Amino acid sequence: MVNRTTAAPMVHLDNVSKNYGAVQALRSTHLEVRRGEFLTLLGPSGSGKTTLLNMIAGMTGPSDGQIWIDGRDVTEVPPSRRGIGMVFQNYALMPHMTIFQNIAFPLEIRRIPADEIRQRVMKVLEIVRLPNVAERKPKELSGGQQQRVSLARCIVYNPSLILMDEPLGALDKNLRDQMQLEIRRLHSELGITIVYVTHDQEEALNMSDRIMLMNGGSVEQLDTPHDLYYAPRTRFAAEFIGRSSLIPSEMIGGGQARLNDGSVVRVNRGANAGKGHLMVRPESMRLVQAGNVDAGMNALQGTLQGTLVTGGSITHFVAHSSNTTLIVQELANERRTAFTSGEQISVTWPVDAGIFLDR
Amino acid sequence: MARAGGLERQQALRIAFYAVPAAILMLAVFAVPLGTVVIQSFTSEASPGFTLASYAKILSATLFVRVSWKTLEITLLATAFALLLAYPLAYYMAQQPPRRRAMLMILVLVPFWTSVLVKSFAFTVILGQSGLVNTAISWLGLPPVKLLFNRIGVIIGMSHFLVPFMVFPILSNLLNQPRDLVSAASILGAGKWRIFWRVTLPLSMPGVMAGVLLVMILSLGFYVVPALLGGRQDMMLANLVDFYAREIIDWPMASALSVILMGTAAIAAIILSLIPGGSAILGGDER
Repeated sequence: MVNRTTAAPMVHLDNVSKNYGAVQALRSTHLEVRRGEFLTLLGPSGSGKTTLLNMIAGMTGPSDGQIWIDGRDVTEVPPSRRGIGMVFQNYALMPHMTIFQNIAFPLEIRRIPADEIRQRVMKVLEIVRLPNVAERKPKELSGGQQQRVSLARCIVYNPSLILMDEPLGALDKNLRDQMQLEIRRLHSELGITIVYVTHDQEEALNMSDRIMLMNGGSVEQLDTPHDLYYAPRTRFAAEFIGRSSLIPSEMIGGGQARLNDGSVVRVNRGANAGKGHLMVRPESMRLVQAGNVDAGMNALQGTLQGTLVTGGSITHFVAHSSNTTLIVQELANERRTAFTSGEQISVTWPVDAGIFLDR
Repeated sequence: MARAGGLERQQALRIAFYAVPAAILMLAVFAVPLGTVVIQSFTSEASPGFTLASYAKILSATLFVRVSWKTLEITLLATAFALLLAYPLAYYMAQQPPRRRAMLMILVLVPFWTSVLVKSFAFTVILGQSGLVNTAISWLGLPPVKLLFNRIGVIIGMSHFLVPFMVFPILSNLLNQPRDLVSAASILGAGKWRIFWRVTLPLSMPGVMAGVLLVMILSLGFYVVPALLGGRQDMMLANLVDFYAREIIDWPMASALSVILMGTAAIAAIILSLIPGGSAILGGDER
């Protein structure tokens, strides 16, 4: 046997695909999840992320391809023998068992002696900061507490891989933020590998080491949150994560793109030929008085349509003659001089803030 | 809010209007005769006016005590038998895709298309000394088995009628169990059997309880099946009512017995309405 604890990735999907009749839920996909990694499957509903997670869990089998967990081919192995943990959106705690019995359940299955079970259950309840709920029933706890019990039930038998299926989806905003930190803390303290499914891009950006962005049954991009945000490779990636200005244009060679109103800007990232969109993130753009453009910056003329002030940041919407709305985001305290709606202004951005996307 | 309340009351009245014809019918053919029975149970042929004579006579009669025990015995046996048959069936149906399940539900309901009387006669043909079952047994060279005019006949006949009443509450419970629980138990390492014993079965207990009580209420009043398929030993309370009404022709006694039987069933129905999911089976709200 190979030394699998160091060599093999935690999860390895080898050309895995899934069809439901004529519908292709997941196109042939390759993925390696590293040991100790927090990887998020992000995408809209129907993108295949849940299908993928269910296949790693063993709830559904792949139509084609192989699944390896911890160096072992588990393609034909039922969920009960994969030795992994899973956290569900609606907690999936057994309503007829007390919290103690719920957490003890996986240990009983593993034939752990009763006194050790007691010790371990109490210890994980400490870890998830719920030391006093052992004798209660799940329905006596709040949603956030139930999800923490569900986490405890998961980590109590030390699985090296935990799958999470939109675990914070049923919680309200404040609780969600708090639970994000909690899950991150458990991840780094216990050194487990987590595969996390969500449709919430903010959650994915906050928590993940890497994000696999999915769309229509295939992988759009697999990258770190930073690269996914600042270097999207497709228009879908640019639009799904964060906000951006997407300017229809065509690369005309020499690192230049021509917009459909004839104006030309410089681009040095992304595709270097063909038609597509020039993408710039709002915080890379600046508003300046018309014509007052620093050398070396790209600039477009436009009409200021409106300004939104949201706490610490200001967002300007600028109509450009290429029939595109440019979004410019600045910090509120950066500038005192205000522009008025309808004013002709220039929008500028550094050349390397723009990426040309041909897909 | 007073206006809204008024509107609500108006609407309630409008809805009640549609129930009037049925209510009149029920009053004429059910409530009135029932009231007569209750009144009659407090009369006696010997002396006019209100008397508890019939009740006193019943409670001291050894026949009544014996038949009561028999009724309870047969009821429990038939209920247990129906549960044993119905649970696996409901469990199997719950696993099926909806279209197939709908077909199976129709099959379960097929016995209702025929009256109990006709079915009981059919059973005498199937279970009789030279019936289908015994013919098959004799082909195998085995001695014939007495399946008719005894306890076996009563239990077969009753279970056949009762199984659907047991299947549906259990099936409805199984279908309402959250799917994620089975997935979760499986991920936690539980095999099929453990999932059944530790998750599915305990969670289905309200459905089982509802089915058991419903079937017991129905069993208590069985008349045709014990009369046609049972022996002298298998007399139930309803048969005793018939005995007093037609053979001894003691109407107050028959009435008092009916009232006792009805009271027992009513108590069981009240218990049923108190268990979760039980009131829906009695036609109440699913809450």
